[in-house]
Order: sequence, then structure tokens, then C-alpha cells
Amino acid sequence: MGAFILRRLLLAIPTLLGVLVIAFLLLYVAPGDPVMAMVGERADEQTIARLRAELRLDDPLPVQFGHYVAGIAKGDLGRSYITNRPILRDILERFPKTLQLAGAAMLFATICGVTLGVLSARSPGGLIDRFGLALAYLGISFPVYWVGLLLILLFAVTLHWLPPSGFGGFRYLILPALALGMRSVAFLARMTRSAMLDALGADYVRTARAKGLRERVVVARHALRNALIPIITVLGLDFGAYLTGSILTETIFSWPGLGRYVVNAIARRDLPAIQGSVLFLSAVFVLVNLLTDLAYAKADPRVTYA
Amino acid sequence: MRRSIALLAPLLVMACGGGGGGTDRRTLVDSRDNYDPRSLDPALSTDVPTGRAVGYLFDGLTRFTPEGGVIPGLATSWETSPDGLTWTFHLRRGVAFTDGTPFVARQVLVSWQRVLDPRVRGGRGWPLYPIHGAQDYAAGKVTSIEGLSAPNDSTVVVKLKEPFAIFPKLLAMPVASIAPETVPANFGEHPVGTGPWRLVEWRHDDYLLFAPNTHYWGGPPRADSLKARIIAEPSTAVAEFESGTVDVLQIPQGEIADWEEDAERRKLLTSTPSLELVYAAINTTRGPLRDPRVRQALNYGIDRMRIDRNLIANRGTLAAGVIPPSLPGADTTRSGYQFDTTRARQLLREAGYPNGIDLEMWTSTNPLYVRIAETLQAYLRLSGIRIKIVQRESAAAREAARKGATDLFLKDWYADYPDAENFLYPLLHSANKGVGGNVSFYQNAQYDSIVTAARREQDEAKRVALYREADQIAFRDAPMIFLWFYSELYAVQPWIRGFQPPVIFNGQSWTTVTTTAASAPKRDQ
Repeated sequence: MGAFILRRLLLAIPTLLGVLVIAFLLLYVAPGDPVMAMVGERADEQTIARLRAELRLDDPLPVQFGHYVAGIAKGDLGRSYITNRPILRDILERFPKTLQLAGAAMLFATICGVTLGVLSARSPGGLIDRFGLALAYLGISFPVYWVGLLLILLFAVTLHWLPPSGFGGFRYLILPALALGMRSVAFLARMTRSAMLDALGADYVRTARAKGLRERVVVARHALRNALIPIITVLGLDFGAYLTGSILTETIFSWPGLGRYVVNAIARRDLPAIQGSVLFLSAVFVLVNLLTDLAYAKADPRVTYA
Repeated sequence: MRRSIALLAPLLVMACGGGGGGTDRRTLVDSRDNYDPRSLDPALSTDVPTGRAVGYLFDGLTRFTPEGGVIPGLATSWETSPDGLTWTFHLRRGVAFTDGTPFVARQVLVSWQRVLDPRVRGGRGWPLYPIHGAQDYAAGKVTSIEGLSAPNDSTVVVKLKEPFAIFPKLLAMPVASIAPETVPANFGEHPVGTGPWRLVEWRHDDYLLFAPNTHYWGGPPRADSLKARIIAEPSTAVAEFESGTVDVLQIPQGEIADWEEDAERRKLLTSTPSLELVYAAINTTRGPLRDPRVRQALNYGIDRMRIDRNLIANRGTLAAGVIPPSLPGADTTRSGYQFDTTRARQLLREAGYPNGIDLEMWTSTNPLYVRIAETLQAYLRLSGIRIKIVQRESAAAREAARKGATDLFLKDWYADYPDAENFLYPLLHSANKGVGGNVSFYQNAQYDSIVTAARREQDEAKRVALYREADQIAFRDAPMIFLWFYSELYAVQPWIRGFQPPVIFNGQSWTTVTTTAASAPKRDQ
């Protein structure tokens, strides 16, 4: 197990290096000059030339890249061109908020999705199943943006139960988590349902029933446990998507997370901030994938990583 | 989107009854910032949220009133030498920074040097370029600014490189604000100023919280605190306003009709003649666009009145020149280009394009601008002008226009200070081609010399006459499709007293704004 984790972590290094190179090159071929974005509507050639020199943007590309990688090797993501603040500090300030939102959305999605899936699978074609199917279609078809605004209008503007947007206590978390988790509820419900149907038709479930176990135990312990692998896969994939896909949700709900930081950085062509965020999120992604793999072993003793 | 205030009213009453006391209602909440400020260091104030916050925390030698007047700030008075080159500013005495440091003339010199210092990476030195030696300092050619001196603690003497009568207006811009003499490395997050407010906390992408500077020389702000929330999505800002959680809202341009047509909402509206010109820059160096007749044809080929009505509910005052009608120099009697496809076709024929022309119109992805572009495209087709719309993210579109790669570029220009010069000079003077703001690449020797003379003219009446003359030339030469001056629409909560929408973005410092606790809803935090 330990060797497996070590191997995976070592493998992550070339992956992240690849991300680094691609992010760096893409940003340099993409249109948009950070200095132009910085000086605003009215400027002069002289200022622009001086700023380019200050930011070392005139150095040859390999030199710039070398500089950047050398910084990263020392754990330094550099400073923002625009704000002059250290990027790592900015990211670490915002990431926990994104994580909090993603975590809450995932919790919501898991509880609702898996419950709905299990209930649907117990009586396929029944009322709950059909309701679940309808909900799944709706959840997948509605854009986050629209759902978000609708939630704000209903719960904040009309009913006045919750604040419309912003960051604070639990009350501020509810609406964005619902909006972000919605899609996954639908997805998870369908996934759980089909995995459960497979499991419930399996021989070991018949055996369990034949032993005279109560239905609840059969479903929860025997069937669900075996249906967990695909569910964990979906959750792992979704979690990555939450982290990067929370951009819209954070924007609608004025949530001060990493998504908005990235959007701002892109709008201002803040190259080191964009690169730093991409690298950071890629590292998180690699880590989440690793955790997903480890969770397989936990769910299914047949999976080992010796 | 239209949940009425009426529906909300009983809830507000309940909330108030349950809330008890009114102590939590003395905070003023603004919703206008839609992204995190770059910094709170005046030297870095190149964007609107930064400039607004800097305006709360710092003072310049002059400042703007909400109506767009320029009044004394840290300077109580100033005089100019007869040749208009030497300006003597008499500074306010007994003013201190919020850390207790007294304000003295030396800080003015140091602050302006920082703005120009390339190592500070501010990027906006131009408001100080009129000072003799400033541009050389910014270029690293000299180590001090020759035109700046402080004969004593309460006097600053500025020598300009040429007469520039409106110089005090530029000094009210956030970038010219005065900071302490030595600033720590993290000054951008821990600012210390002499302004009406001091910073309590800055939660990035969330809010900035300010408390009154109780020693403010102009009298401390009347409210207990000011919170500038950072709300990225305009629809969310609207929802916040409707929930009563923010006090002031800038109505998104696409939702104007919804507000004006609703009797309840209408009562909350207020507006100001905004100094924002919406136009399509015509690159006068490209192909058929070199011919003024073609450029006039573009102006005749569109029905601006209908576009104004249908897209922005008549919030625009149709432009007949580049000077906003509220500023001296504007010729309000001149009727603009009237929609006339026959005339447009005829002008094209005379210019040698009987079969029409093909042009690219660049625009940002702002939905309103895309709609304007599409409407212009439809109109111009009637006159044989075939437009291909190119949508790019705004920084990329602007960069292309600056490089001269666009035929037409749909954009706006928002004044930094209330003077016709702020339109005539950056937008169309040949010294500003490209990055300077003249993305029409317009060059007309007569126009240039009139604008230059106006900048140097010390007599106001004569200056205004020159402005008018230059504007007339610009109108005739049509280096742009003149659209309109957009008048900003605000909604202000009924419990707010004394808020006047500012003409210039940093013109409202909230010092006399109050909330009446009795009618405000209880809020979280």
C-alpha cells in the first residue's frame, strides 16, 4: 500500500510538469498582453515598454520558463503581475472556501443521489423510480446559472429565508451547495440505481435472502456495498469537476473561492496567477484520483494495491 | 426577475420587529464593485474598484463632488504664474494620516514619485505627465522630478512643461492621492491615508469594510461603517438589492425597462448625466475607411434613436460629437447624423463604392454590446455595408484595436475627470494613436492644433470655444460611429438619505449619507 502511494505520487511529478509546460505555452500563444490589461484604457508606449522590462516579459521564452520552474522548485509560485501579492498565499486563502463549497455540494449530492438511487432500485418502475428519473432529467438539463438565480429568487428575495449571496456561516452555504450539487444528484441517482439493480439480481443477494436476512440488511450491507465501486468512481470524477466547475456557482453566489480568482486572473491576463492556479488545481486533481483509488480498496477487499 | 418590493414589505416589517434595536443598520452597503480591487495603494489604482476604495481612504490635493465639480482637497487653494507654468498649492494644515503622522508637503512629492516609479509597476503615470520632468523620471532617465518642489511644509510648487489650465482636475484622480512618505511592502493591503474612511478589513472577492476616520478634516462620515461588497454577477446584485441587503445598486443596462416600468421600483430610481460615450471607433487608416464620406455613410446608415429606445430604454443621449452635453464645449444645438439610407448609399457611391463595402466590427463579449453590434449590422446592410461581427473577450478586443487590426471597434469611454479635454485629447488627438486611446488612428493637423491650443489656453471662455471648434471638426470627419452618452441609472433604498450618484466614478465618498434605522431590514453580520 505504502509503495503504491509512493509510486503514484512519483508519477504525479511528470504529469504536473506536463501541465506546467502546456499551461505556460498556451498562455503565451493566447492573445492578450498582461501589460496592456494592466495599464487600462489610456497609456503610453514608454510606460508599456518599462513595465514589460520590469516583468521580464521581453526575455526569451525559454529563459522565462526557466525562471518560472526555478521558482516553483523552491515552492514559490511567484507574485501576481497585477496585484503584486504572492500567488500561493492568494490561492491558499481562497482554496478552503472552494473546498468547503465543493464538500457541501458533494455531501448533498451523495445523500440525496444515493438514497434516491437505492429507493428507485428497490421498486423499478414504481412511483419513486419514475419521480427519480424525471428529477434526473431536470437536474442534468438545467444550467447551473439558471438554477442558481432561481434559488436566489425563491429563497432569498421572495421567502427571505436565506441570504442571496456572499460568504459567512452555514446559511450562506446552503444555496450555492444546492446549485452546485444538483447535477450530481441526478447523475448519482441514476448510477446508483443501475449498480443496485445489478447487485440485487446477483447470486449473493439471493443467498443473503435465502439465509433469511431482513430486506434492509440485504439492501444496505450486501447490495449497496457491492454497488459502491461505480458510485465512488463518479464521486471522484465529480469532485474534480466541482473544484474547477465551481467557477459559475462562485460567480453567481459571490462566493470568494478559487474559481473567481481564476476568472479575475484570466480577465487581467495575470499569467503567473493563471499558471499557479492551474498547477495547484492539477495537483489537487491528481490527489483526488489517488484517494479515489484508495477508496476502491476500502470498499472492495478484492482490490489490493500491493 | 421581477419580485416586487411590495411582496417584500411585510417580511421587512417582521424582520425589523424580530431584530430589535437598530444598531446593526448603520452600515452602508454598496454593491457596485464587480471584481476584487487590484490593490489599495493609490499608485496602483488603474481600475474602478481600486479607484473607488482609494477615494475613501485617501485624499488628493483636489477632489470631485458627486455632481462632477472639482473642489479643494488637501490643498486649500492654488495660484498660477502669469505664464501658466508654475502652480503653487497651499496645503491644508493640521491634517494627519490615520496612523497619526502629520500631513506635510514632502509626502506629496514622494507619493507622485511612487506613481511614476517603474519599479512600483503602477502603469498609470499619465495624469502626472504634465509636470516638468515627470515623463523622464518615469522613463528612468533622471532620478528626481525637476518640476516638483516643497519650499515649506505647507506649500507645493509644481512646474509644468507647458501651460495646462485643467491640471487641478487631474489631481482629483485616485492615482494622484497622497500616501505617507514611507510605505511598507504590504501597503496595498494595509493602507494608511488621510481620507474620510479607514480600512477595517478586506476580504478578497467578498467585501471591503471601512470605518469613519473620526479625525477627518472635512468632518467624519455620518454612518457607522461602509461595506463595499464585491458582487460579480449583476443579476445577483439586483437580488441583493431586492432582499434589502445592499443599499445602492447600479441597474444593469439590460434590465432598465424592468425597473422603469414597475411603479414600485420606479420610486427608488435616480440617475445622473454620465460621462460615458458609447461609440464604434472607425480605424481611419484602413481601406475605404480612409475616406470621410464612407465614415459619414456609416453614421447615416444607423437609426440610433431606435437602438437607444429598444436596447437601453432611452438611457442614451444621442451623440453629435464627442463632448457630453453636460460639459462646457458641447454644442447642444447640433443635430447629429440622422438615419438616412439614401444619403448613406449616395456617399458610398461618391466615394467610389457603388457595390458597398465589407467591414469587420469588433466587440467584447458583453451581451449588450453584442446586441448593439448585431443591430448596427442589420441597419448597415440596408446601405450596402456588410459587417462581419468579431467577438473577443474584452482585453483581447482592445488589444487588437490598439494594434490597428480592427475596422470598427464598438466600445465606450468613461471620463476620468469632467472636462471636454478628457474626450477630445485621448480619443482623437494624433499623439494618442493606439495605446493612448485614439483607436480611430485619427490624424488631422487642424484638429490637433486646436486641441493642443485648448489644453494650453488659460482663459476658460476661449478654451471652451476651442473645444467646440475641435468637436465640430471631429463630428464632420466622423472618425467614429457616434452612438450616445449613457446616463447611469441607480436604485437607492428608501432608508438611505443623502446618496447622490456620482458623475465621476470616485466622486461619491458617502460622508453625508445616512440610513434611517427604522425602515431598514435587519441584516446578517
